[in-house]
Amino acid sequence: MATAETSRLEGLRSRGAALGGFGPAAISVLLVAAAAALLVGSLRSSTFAQLTVQGLALGSVYGSLALALVLVYRASHIVNFAQGELAMATTYVAYQLIQWGLSYWEAFFATLGIAFVLGTVLEVGLIRPVLHRSAIAAVIVTVGLFILIDGVVTWIWGGDFKFMPSPFGTTIYHVGGVSIARLYFGILVVVLISVLLVWALFRFTKLGLGMRAAALRPAEAALVGIRVDRMLAIGWGLAAVLGAVAGLMAEPSQYVLEPTLMQPILVYAFAAAVLGGLESPAGAVVGGLALGVSLNLIVQYVPAITSELQLPFAFAVLLAVLLIKPSGLFGRRTVRRV
Amino acid sequence: MRYLPALGSLVAVGAVLAALPFLLSAYHVALAAQVGIFFIAVLGLNILTGYTGQISIGHGAFMAIGGYTTAVLSRDHHTNLVLTMIAAFAICLVFGVLVGLPALRLSGVYLALATFALAISVPQLPLKWSKFLGGRDGVQTATTPSHVWLYAAAWTASAILFVLAWLILRGRVGRAFRAVRDSEIAAVASGVELPLYKTLAFGISAAYAGIAGSLFVLATNGFAAPDEFGVVLSLELLIGAAVAGLGSLWGILAGAAFIGLLPTVSSSVPVIGSAHGQDVVFGAAVVLVMLLIPDGFAGLVARVRRLAGA
Amino acid sequence: MAVNRRKLGALLCALLITAAVAGAAAASHTGTPGVTSNKIVIGGTFPLTGPASLYKTIPAAEQAYYAYVNAKGGVFHRKIVDNVLDDQYDPSQTVPQTQKLVEQDHVFAVVGSLGTAPILSTWNYLNKLKIPQVLVATGDAFWGNCVHHACQGGTKPWTLGWQPDYPGEAKLYAKYILQKNKNAKIGVIYQNDAYGKNYLAGLKTGLGSSANQIVDAESYNLGDSAQVIAAHVVALRAHGADTFVIFATPTATIQSLVARTLIGWSPLTLVNNVSANRVFELLAAQNGANLDGIISTVYTASSTTQPNLPGMKLATSIIHKYAPSLDQSLAQGDGNIIYGLAVGWTFVDALQHAGKNLTRAGLMQALRNMKETKNPFIYPGMTVETSKKRTFPMEQLKLIKWSGGKTGDWHAFGKIFSGLH
Repeated sequence: MATAETSRLEGLRSRGAALGGFGPAAISVLLVAAAAALLVGSLRSSTFAQLTVQGLALGSVYGSLALALVLVYRASHIVNFAQGELAMATTYVAYQLIQWGLSYWEAFFATLGIAFVLGTVLEVGLIRPVLHRSAIAAVIVTVGLFILIDGVVTWIWGGDFKFMPSPFGTTIYHVGGVSIARLYFGILVVVLISVLLVWALFRFTKLGLGMRAAALRPAEAALVGIRVDRMLAIGWGLAAVLGAVAGLMAEPSQYVLEPTLMQPILVYAFAAAVLGGLESPAGAVVGGLALGVSLNLIVQYVPAITSELQLPFAFAVLLAVLLIKPSGLFGRRTVRRV
Repeated sequence: MRYLPALGSLVAVGAVLAALPFLLSAYHVALAAQVGIFFIAVLGLNILTGYTGQISIGHGAFMAIGGYTTAVLSRDHHTNLVLTMIAAFAICLVFGVLVGLPALRLSGVYLALATFALAISVPQLPLKWSKFLGGRDGVQTATTPSHVWLYAAAWTASAILFVLAWLILRGRVGRAFRAVRDSEIAAVASGVELPLYKTLAFGISAAYAGIAGSLFVLATNGFAAPDEFGVVLSLELLIGAAVAGLGSLWGILAGAAFIGLLPTVSSSVPVIGSAHGQDVVFGAAVVLVMLLIPDGFAGLVARVRRLAGA
Repeated sequence: MAVNRRKLGALLCALLITAAVAGAAAASHTGTPGVTSNKIVIGGTFPLTGPASLYKTIPAAEQAYYAYVNAKGGVFHRKIVDNVLDDQYDPSQTVPQTQKLVEQDHVFAVVGSLGTAPILSTWNYLNKLKIPQVLVATGDAFWGNCVHHACQGGTKPWTLGWQPDYPGEAKLYAKYILQKNKNAKIGVIYQNDAYGKNYLAGLKTGLGSSANQIVDAESYNLGDSAQVIAAHVVALRAHGADTFVIFATPTATIQSLVARTLIGWSPLTLVNNVSANRVFELLAAQNGANLDGIISTVYTASSTTQPNLPGMKLATSIIHKYAPSLDQSLAQGDGNIIYGLAVGWTFVDALQHAGKNLTRAGLMQALRNMKETKNPFIYPGMTVETSKKRTFPMEQLKLIKWSGGKTGDWHAFGKIFSGLH
């Protein structure tokens, strides 16, 4: 079909295709190898262990937000630029609830509920009316929201620093020469439980089945009686919940609540989602974890990549991955029949 | 190009533009110049996004490259400012093609996110080569143009680049661009060389953004610094292109005015006030405009034309 | 139909043009811009929204001070009107906002604007127009160094700083470190931009021949996660540093202090005074940082450790009356509020010295020949002084040390260090 392309990239791609692609098997091998390397490194060096655990914890936050992005993308085929700011706003809501006297965990769950409502309202009220007319218009709506939410939060709460009590306290575990704050384990556990619950919802419940059907084959799903609109709205609601979890776990990890909390995290979440493949929930989470750990380790073990090069370097790697596997590590290349 | 309006209205616009500097205060002239600068950038982005269907959220990076080209050439070699703009055009054309090449492999949202990465990474680079590129303290040109010079340069460049765009888009190249947007497969089947036209579109739009960036730095009193080229700039360009819509000169003007004037106006809004106004008002305006006219201003114009029985 | 539309269009155009001309005409002024018999209009650009908006308490405090002065009749019966505009710390917005102040609002002077890059983008413009750009809120050394020497295209006599400059501050830290431990092994974390690099350069200058005692200097980016910052702190310890110097913006400072405790490291620690606001330190402590013994400097009085100073009592009453939303922050020890009040005091003092016949040149004359000993908001005993030779208004700092843990505070010790230059 294509004209004779002789670029080296094309050659690489076709060789990869001949091998059956850099398929899931190859990626899994890669992941297992990486995990083994991390384990060995941690056993040999306490610093390495510390950096790995911290990296995984922060990476899980990236992964949670990345998963939110993927959920939205699977439902509506657009990127929600406001996902991070929405997560930040819901974190401020939790802050306010705590100021009003709720305990941390009461505020936590109340915030998840509020986030769900906000997500569904957003989809129904602001995205749905435009999405069918123009996808780019819907994306611009999310960009407008990115700016608007930041402005509103700064207006209501100010741009200065706020303190939220960490749900995990300030305890530090000392295990064989390594000191790791309980905070990091707490973050990992909370995020992984949330992700698992969402996964279980999709995998084992009728609602989840309906949502998957609505995302993959909306026309056919409607034919069998699935309320596709409702499924989409719920998808956005769940994405907002995952975003809220990301925000609520990001805040104690960064020690400070300020309106810019989620902005760097959004960037890494984009990178993680793209790295893993925008249609792959597992890819988003794994991508986030990988990114979190790598960033930490680079600072320590590759000092040649000085601070101003870190972000460009991360993106260069991302680009390299995309050039070899344009639909991400876990993505499936869609074949279009002409 | 469908959107070339009647000669009469073009002349009228030209007359108004020529008269404005004599009627407005210097501050307002500077604002009008700002609209001209964004006109160029939005026009360029329109070629890429509207006409070849490739999304870029990274054109702020090309503006940065263009802007720094002007600043450094002026600072180190006292180069004539117009020459620096031409240099910016050329350099960004090259960079645009370079970016367009790997972009060939990416489509849709992946391309958007890859260009987003560009928007974030490029402004970091002056921090690395801070001796040459000034770090966070920026680079200052040797000469600073007056408001009127800036206004004249911005709108003259706009006119020239508009005509250039019209020439490109009405011919073979334009048809190829539109074919790429409408269906890549059909385009290739018809013999359109995809890589050539896609990278060309990237290059041209980047070159336009480069000139806009030159003027942008000159409008900032000739001062180029990383803080001017944040992610929000790239997002604003995309907003401008979306508000403009496709296929209308007036749309591009509307889009440019929207992103050139609204943030400044937003910061003086009563009630919300200077302390909070900017982001709240501008953000709300963007959401509202997209809800009301999803096809942008061009779509609105088309609808009005249809209603008027044209 | 078409003819009517064209006529309407022409009429609208004519109206628009008339309005514009009328507007332009009304804007012309005679006499000193911004000064009338009962008003002085000034303005400044600040990050009121956006990433640096944490500093918006500074212009709020300045406006509160002017409101207090106005209530007492103003300066020579002129009330001060302060137009604070938002530039989001973005020079491409600072420029149009400053133009607006100059060309629309016809301000007498641009006072207190915040941020090095924003100031650099407008200082040529303001100096060319001979408009005072004074008491700028940044500690860069440009504002003192470029009065008699040309920088970026000429001298900048119309630009004036206020606070003690960053390199000078860093030099003091160098002196203190060597005094405490001649063989100190110094590890520095600094922000990877001019802000951080200026501090580091100052530290090296202050260390002189001992500059090689800096065993490692780690740079981080604005926006880096707390974990990446922690990795830098770990690296500093790994290089054997026993002295830890933090030249960072507030968020990264808090994160560095927490990291330092979390890894069980307790070196002599120094923090730059921009990040030594008590509110930030309390936040670090609440997150588990052990702050006792850390060192910084101060040049304003403290509302929490020196509440009985007449200046601090005045501060509390002014804020309560004219900016009550800042009450709580002031009670917690937010030094930025005192900073704003102090700058306001300096400006009003200069206005008074400039006399009833107020001109821009007169204001600069007053500001370049200050000998302010009675500013109630700066640290007692310090002065704000300028002269032909002295282009940095504040060249004094007092060392402070934290004690009292999670609910503690900074306590000053030792003498006032003068002559940072």
